[in-house]
Formats: sequence, structure tokens, C-alpha cells
Amino acid sequence: MLKIENLHVRVAGKEILKGLNLTVKPGEVHAIMGPNGAGKSTLGNVLAGREGYEITAGTVDFGDKDLLQLEPEERAAEGLFLAFQYPVEIPGVNNTYFLKAALNAQRKYRGESELDSMQFLKLVREKLRVLHISDELLHRAVNAGFSGGEKKRNEIFQMALLEPRLAILDETDSGLDIDALKMVAEGVNHMRSADRAFIVITHYQRLLDYIVPDQVHVLAEGRIVESGDKTLALKLEEHGYAWIEQRRLPEHSAV
Amino acid sequence: MATERNDIENALNRRYEAGFVTDIETEYLPPGLSEDVIRQLSAKKNEPQWMTDWRLKAYRHWLTMPVPEWAKLRIGPIDFQAISYYAAPKARPKSLDDVDPKLLETYDKLGVPLHERAKLAGVAVDAVFDSVSVGTTFRKELAEAGVIFCSMSEAIREHAELVQQYLGSVVPVGDNYFAALNSAVFSDGSFVFIPKGVRCPMELSTYFRINAMNTGQFERTLIVAEDASYVSYLEGCTAPQRDENQLHAAVVELVALADAQIKYSTVQNWYPGDENGVGGIYNFVTKRGDCRGARSKISWTQVETGSAITWKYPSCVLRGDDSTGEFYSVALTHHAQQADTGTKMIHIGRNTKSKIISKGISAGRGQNSYRGLVKVEKSAEGARNYTQCDSLLIGKKCGAHTFPYIEVKHPRAIVEHEATTSKISDDQLFYCRSRGLGEEDAVSMIVDGFCKQVFKELPMEFAVEAKKLLEVSLEGAVG
Amino acid sequence: MSATLLQSLEQAYAQLPPAAMQAGRLGEARRASLAAALADGLPGARAERWRHTSLRALERRAFSPLPATATVDPAVLAAIPAPRIVFVNGVFAPQLSQLKDLPEGVSLQPLSQALQQGDVREVEFLARRFDAADETFARLNAAFALDGLLLRVAAGVHCTQPVALVMLGAAAGGDHAVHLRHCVELGEDARLTFCEYQLAASPQAHLLNSFAHLHLRRGARLDHVRVQGEDAGATVMTRSDAVLGSEADYRRTDLELGAGLSRHELNVSLFGQHARVAAAGVLLADGRRHLDTRLNIDHVARDTACDLTWRGLGADRGRVVFHGGILIRAGADGTAAQLSNKNLLLSANAEIDTQPVLEIHADEVQAAHGATVGQLDDTALFYLRSRGLPESVARTLLTRAFCRVVLDGIADAGVRERTDGLLDARLPQVAA
Repeated sequence: MLKIENLHVRVAGKEILKGLNLTVKPGEVHAIMGPNGAGKSTLGNVLAGREGYEITAGTVDFGDKDLLQLEPEERAAEGLFLAFQYPVEIPGVNNTYFLKAALNAQRKYRGESELDSMQFLKLVREKLRVLHISDELLHRAVNAGFSGGEKKRNEIFQMALLEPRLAILDETDSGLDIDALKMVAEGVNHMRSADRAFIVITHYQRLLDYIVPDQVHVLAEGRIVESGDKTLALKLEEHGYAWIEQRRLPEHSAV
Repeated sequence: MATERNDIENALNRRYEAGFVTDIETEYLPPGLSEDVIRQLSAKKNEPQWMTDWRLKAYRHWLTMPVPEWAKLRIGPIDFQAISYYAAPKARPKSLDDVDPKLLETYDKLGVPLHERAKLAGVAVDAVFDSVSVGTTFRKELAEAGVIFCSMSEAIREHAELVQQYLGSVVPVGDNYFAALNSAVFSDGSFVFIPKGVRCPMELSTYFRINAMNTGQFERTLIVAEDASYVSYLEGCTAPQRDENQLHAAVVELVALADAQIKYSTVQNWYPGDENGVGGIYNFVTKRGDCRGARSKISWTQVETGSAITWKYPSCVLRGDDSTGEFYSVALTHHAQQADTGTKMIHIGRNTKSKIISKGISAGRGQNSYRGLVKVEKSAEGARNYTQCDSLLIGKKCGAHTFPYIEVKHPRAIVEHEATTSKISDDQLFYCRSRGLGEEDAVSMIVDGFCKQVFKELPMEFAVEAKKLLEVSLEGAVG
Repeated sequence: MSATLLQSLEQAYAQLPPAAMQAGRLGEARRASLAAALADGLPGARAERWRHTSLRALERRAFSPLPATATVDPAVLAAIPAPRIVFVNGVFAPQLSQLKDLPEGVSLQPLSQALQQGDVREVEFLARRFDAADETFARLNAAFALDGLLLRVAAGVHCTQPVALVMLGAAAGGDHAVHLRHCVELGEDARLTFCEYQLAASPQAHLLNSFAHLHLRRGARLDHVRVQGEDAGATVMTRSDAVLGSEADYRRTDLELGAGLSRHELNVSLFGQHARVAAAGVLLADGRRHLDTRLNIDHVARDTACDLTWRGLGADRGRVVFHGGILIRAGADGTAAQLSNKNLLLSANAEIDTQPVLEIHADEVQAAHGATVGQLDDTALFYLRSRGLPESVARTLLTRAFCRVVLDGIADAGVRERTDGLLDARLPQVAA
């Protein structure tokens, strides 16, 4: 579904990703862990098509599309969703209006019929119920005045509504208390299916107690330096990221 | 009756400590202004012909200009024929060692010792007394670094090429009414030249003193910072206490070439007049900096506590790409003082940045106006401005006014202006007093806090002086 | 004065029927106003209050003498419910107006009718003189206006139906100067929603000079919405003078969406204690539009408040000029004044000039203003696109959100919806 090959990315002239490879198949959950500044958020932003990232080499295939050629909204319509680490506050734009516009724009792109207000509200209510979110959220402006937890909850709600093929969760667990964390995990687990994949970017192992990954990758210095199953996350938690550095030392000294 | 008068005078003297007169034999040009007067003035200063011609050209232009309309100032007509355009101590010293002891004593009293033993550490001073410079300290040390710091009169004689290249290149002769007048009759001032790559080894400072009666002071300052050089320049001003208004119409020009930085600080404490608005200096100043080179930076910091009327807008023309202009200002008006001050930031180059922090304090019947222009030209892609204008009101009869003009012609520019007006709240005062502070101390503490953003831009010695000045100027403002 | 505009108006004045000009015993006042306008001419570049708006082009144009009748498709008015009073090219149009079924205590009639009836007290506001040399359009209005709206709500009456004033510009063979003078009076504790429309029935290049007096007595509340949606060829000079008594509450919303050149002066005098004004507006300058709004809020009495929120959009070759003046007079202690002016500059050839001004002569006040000029937030734009919205839609959405706060102030749901619709129809043209 997603195939990243030898991805090199520069930000403000500085190379952040230095030949990253990653393949994600439908139904899989991949966790990407790594120390601060390793390039985790850069990966999420590049995949979603944010400006300001210069791709100097590499390819990213998403289904049968060359992802890097698509506009952000085309990527969304193709089924890629990024849950932002810092969801943006947009005062004055009503949440319901925004979601309906987004969903219908995506449906239109895919040649599906647009939902009318009644159909849309029915869908929204259903999703809210599943996620145990109050519908008060719908009447507010997008993320404006939301607490950190509410913003993340809103991201998961958007994900549930837009039903992407590939969801990237960028440090969605940061700043959440345990209840909010469980809610986020529940939302993700509820959506796991054979044709949907997840990339969970996180600094801590904690989230992976609730969202059990198929594969864990360690991103350091712009590359995936270690991959394994869920036990890798536990080892990381136990030994810290310095452990990875040590394991890589021989490689470095050989150069 | 007589004792009462004395009490008042004592009180006033306490408030304006620089109000004394130095009794020194002075040479004047008779009051009045004409081409002859300008020729005499130029001759007295042994100026070359080009300078005389420059002055005459300015004078002829001035004659054609209308007297400016005063937007927010109440001001009587100025009789330009009643002013003497040249006053200088008769004895002309060859060096600081020959300076009349009375003059040295004057500067001692003002806290600016000039003689060798007591020179201010790390600050080179050019002392301007009425129309002439009486001496410049640390000349040798500066010369070793390649820095030229001398009076404008000397520069015209000794560094004619530089003066001719830059004088009037930032503030053209006909820029405005008072700039034209200054160009015609300027007496002295400072000239600073920092060569390429030099970081000026010490703060440079000019101390302006008006002493003689019925004279105007028209100084002219020119600072040129070549590529990648740096200079910090300070200016201080005082005048005796008199019942007549005296005119001060200065022009300051700054030129910053590529990567150069000029920091220009002013503590202006001209005699403000008495409580009833009698006397005081009319302070009409044109100050402009030209960020001519890429990545250059000009920073104006001013603390304006003196003068009956202040009219000045230190400005930056941001011509070089990525250049930066800054303006930090505290203006205080008490009693009948009026201040109309602010800045202009003209963004021409790409990615130019400007920042304006203006703090106005009005007490008594003082009128304080901020007037500013932020202009982003079509060429100034990525220009960025932030302006903050705050006013503090102390008393019922004062006024605080804000007149910003914002003109933007580039869609990738961001301009932000914020202004607030408030008074010292009773809650704040009560809180301070309940902790044991006297009312005036509480006020000066709150005012100091209000001005902090600006004071921190001043060199240390000046910051202390500025703070003290505010305290003194605000005496009697509360209650 | 080489002013063709003024010459053409002077000729027009001579051709007006003397009876009409004398009505209400106003002949002398009209002549004096015309004389003053001719003597001082149009304000030039040196006039501070016209610093950013040049009248050079207008000055050279001539406008034909008599208001011409024109036929108007009533469909133009379909969205504006009764009661409504309609003027076409400055002439009262009874067949388009609906003045019946007004609640008791609400009187609505054309000024021309009142002038004919000859009750001097009814029309005495017309005798006001204008002293400042740059008040040319007010003077011309005083000289020429023969029609307009007279709307009075008696003390204690709450008028629940919004009352609409519609000024239509319609093609009528040539360019016409139209002068209308309106007066809205609310008695003590009266309430009214008043909608004012300046619209085009067909393309034309008329000059509309509209001047409204608004008087709110103690405790009255006026909700006022004005939409300027004139033809791109038209010139619109609007002045609104409001006087507020104690505890009066004036809320207004102004949308400037049309005309080639539009200038609006909103003068509000907070005359009684605890009077308050909340005014908001959008200036949408696309095409070659030049939109100038000038606020002059005068706090006279103590404990008065103003809350001003203006949004400007500069697109294409459009120009937005905004002046937000707040004057707090000595003695107006306890005043709270607040102004926010934000602007989006959306194209390389647009220009935005803004000047928020505070003049304060009292010390027990809280006053603040802020002005910004910038662009749409890139991060927000990306966020919306990452959710699947095309860039043009995302831009429109953000631009709409940017203006949203202005419409939030409209209390009447029906009026808000209609006004919203008018703005919405214009935004995609500007933002995308």
C-alpha cells in the first residue's frame, strides 16, 4: 500500500531524512519510534504534503499513485490521513461545516455522490456514539479553544469520519492523560481492518500497550536503524534510545 | 511673598537639575537670518566654499517652504529673526587641556567629566556647547582603531570627501522645514566614521548643552558605518532654565552599509518649561537612518523627558535586503509639555524587518502623541513589522493619542500594530502601598515597569540616568 | 476650481423646481450649503481626512441634472421582505415599496412626502450646516436632497419586523448624481432592526450621495445592517451620523461589497451615560474597487463603550482604506473603547492602508486598538487541504472565517442569513 524508498528530505537547507525505507501493507500497524529530532514528524508531514520540505531523492508510492506528485487534498482523497501532533486552531470555521465540506470534497474526487446534511449528520452521530464523544464538539469552531486532549480526540473523530486507507498518527499520545490515551487507542483499534493500515509515530512505548503494532521501527538520524516486532518497543523502553546508539557504534567506527 | 517664590524656585531647581547658567564670555552673531548671516557663520568656521554654497542653497529653499501645520501641537509663531544663529565661548582651545576651566566645570556638574583624570570609562565624549564643540575625549584610542569621531566643523575641514559624499544623502536639504533651516545654519555636531569591519572599541557620545540666551541650537550629526562595522552612539542634552522658548532644530543622518549595525541612543532632557508652560526648548528634530546595505541594522532608542515641545520621528529607510530597523521610545510629558513623536519605517528591500516599541506617559496637562508610519513598498517581499504603542495616563487633564499609519503594498508582508491606553490602577497602587511603598515610589516603580522594554535597550549608564530622570520628571504628578 | 463635477451640479441646482427647493422653508439653507461646497471645492490630496482617497477622477466627471426614471425588475428585491421603502435613482418608488402593516407606533414615509406636507419640524434636520471645508458631500446633500426615508419608532415600541431601506441604481441614459437624506429616530426604550441596501438594478455609473441621521433616545436599541453592493461603475458616498442618549445601544454591521469608489463615514456621538455602540464591517476590495471607511467615535459622556471590528480584503487591484478614530473627551471617564482591524492582502497589486487612532483626554479609561495586515495562515491552509479540501475551497473557507466575526453581531436570524448569503456569494471571487 505504501512504499517509501531511499527518501531524502531537507528542511531549511538541512538534511533531516537521509535515505528512509519503509513498506506498509494493508491491515498492518507500524510503529515508528525514535529520539527527539530524529525526523519522525518530518516523515508525517512529507507524506501529507506539507510545504517547506525539499525532497532531494527517493520515491513514495501510495497504492498505484506517486504520492509525492499529489497535492495535499488529493492525498487525503486517495485515503491518506495525518493526525497532527499540533492540530491547528481555526477560529470562525465551524467543525461540522468543515467536516462535511472535507468529506464531500473527498467523495467527489473519488466519483462518489456527496452526502446531504441529513445523511451527513446521521453518519456523524454514529461515529460520535462509537467514540463516546459528546456532540457539543460539532458546534464549536475547529480546535479553537480546545484543550490538548480535546484536540487529539477531534483528530481521531475526523479519522473515524473520513475513513482513510492509511492513517498516520503523529505523536497523538503526547500530552494525553491515561483516559484520553485509552480513548485514542480505542478509536484506532475500532478502525483496524484488513484493508486499512496505520503508522503510529510516538516517542514512548506507552501508546503501544494499547495499540499493538505488527512492526516497530526505530528512526534515528534520518534513517530506520532497527526494525522488529512489538518486543523491540519494550526493549527500547527498558534501555532508552542510547541503547540504539551503542548498537550502531560498530557500524560507525567501521566507516 | 518672596520666600514663597524662593520655595517654588527651589522646588523647580530640584526638578530640573541642569537648569544652571555658565557665566562665560561668549561671542555671538547678532540675531537675524539672511544670506549674509550664513556667509558670516560659514566664514567664522573657516569652511570651504562648497559648504557655504550648500548652506545658501538650503537657505534659499527654506525661504520657499511653508511653516508646517501642527497636527496636534499648540504652538505660538516662531520669530526666526529674533534668534542668534551662532554663539560660542570666546576662548578657542586647541585641545582639551586648554579648555576654559569653567566649561570643564559645567560638564562636571552635568555628570560628563571631560578632563583626563575623570574621563568616563569606556565612553568617548564630544561636548557641544552652544554652537561649537569644546572637545572630544579618547581621540587617540579611537584613531588607532581607524574610527573617526570629531566635531562636524572639524570633519568639514579634515574629512571633506566623506562629508561631501554622505551629508544630506539621508535627509535631503529640502526634506522638511526644520531640516532645511538646519542645513542652512547648522553650527556644529558630531561626525562618526567606522571603517569596514571595525567594531568601535567604545561607546561614542555627544553631550549637547545650550547655554547662551536667545540662541538656537542647530546641530548636525552624521554617522557612517561601512560594511560589517558596529557602533553604539549616545546623545544627551540639557539647557538652562529660562522664561523664553529656545529653538533646537537638529538633523541626524545615519548610513549603514552591508552588515553594519548602528545603535543610536538619546536621553533628551532639554529644559521643559515650568508648571505653567513658561519657557522651555522647542525640540524639532529630523533623525533618519538609511539601511543602505543588505543585512544592515539601525536601532533608535530614545528617552524623551525634556523640552516644552518635542517633534521628532527617528526613522529607518530599509533599503537593503534583510535589513532591520528598530525604534524604542519612552516619551514623558508633564505639566504643559507636548510631545509628538514616533517613527517611520519604510520597507523597500526584501525580507526587511522593523520593530516599534513606544511608551508614552502623560501627566499633569501633558499631551503625548505617537505618530508613526509603516510603509511596505511593492518591492518589499516578506517584509515584517511589529508595533506596540502603550500609553499611561496619570491625572485627569492630560492626553494620550495614537496616530499610526499603515500602508501595505506587498501581499507577502505581515504588519501588526497594537496599542493600549491605561492609567495606573488604584489596585496596583494599593497593592504596592500595602507592601510599604510610598505613593510616589509606587508610581515610579510602575512607570519603570511600563518602560522596561525600552530601558533594556539602553547602555547601562544611560538606563540608570533615564530611570532617574523619569522619577524626577514625575515628581508631584500624583495626588 | 476646475471642478466639472461641481459645475455640473451647480447647473443642476438652477434647473430644480423652486417649489421643491423651498419646501420646508429650506431654500436659504440649501443655497448656503451649495455656496459653501462650491467655494471650498472637493477635498484634495492635502486634506488629511482624504489622504488615501483621491477624488481627482471623480472631480473631472459631470453628472446630468435631473434624476431620470428607470424601470426596475422587481426580482431585484425578491430577497428583501416588507416593510420596505425603495428609491430608484433617488426617486421614491411606491410600486416597489411596501409601507403597509407597520406595527403601531412605527411611522415610515418618504421624505418627499413630509416636505410636501410642509411640517417644518418634521424635516428640521435638513437645515443643519456643515462647517468643515472637506465636508463637500454633506454640503451637496444638504443642498440637493429632496427625498429619503423618515422612520420613527415611538417610545417603548419594539418593532419586531426588520424595516428595509433600498437605494437602487438603475441605468437611465447617462450618469446621474443622486442625493438622499434619511432620518431614523427611536424613542425611549424603543427597539428596531433596520436594513439599508445600496444595490444595482442594472449596470450604471451614478454617484450616490446618501446621508443618514440616526437618533437613539434613552434606552433605545437599534440593530442596523448596511450592505453596499452597488455596480462596479458606481460611486457611493455614504455618511451615517448617530447620536446616542443614555443607555442607548447601537449595533451595526456594514458590508462594503460593491461600487468602484465607496467612502463611508460613520460618526457616532456617545452623548448619554452608559451609551454603547458595537459596530463591525467587511471591506471587500477586489477588481479595481477603492473602499474607504472612516469611523469617528466620539465619547462625550462617562461610562460609554465602543467595540469596533473591521475586516479588510484586498484582492486584484483593489484598495482598502480604513480609519478607526476614537475620541475620548475630558470627563468621559469610565469609557471602554476597543477596535480591531484585520486585513488580508491577497494579491500583488492590491493595497491596504489602515490607521487606527486613539485620542484620549480622560484618565479613567480602558482603550485599545489593534491593526494587522497579513495573509491567510499557511498552516491552517495545509490542515484543511490535508483533510481533502481543494485549495480554492480552503482559501474561501478561511477567508469566510476571517470575516465571520463581523456577521456574528447581527441579532436577527433572518437578516443575518440574508447578509451572510450576500457575503458568501462574493467570497469565492476574492479568495480563490
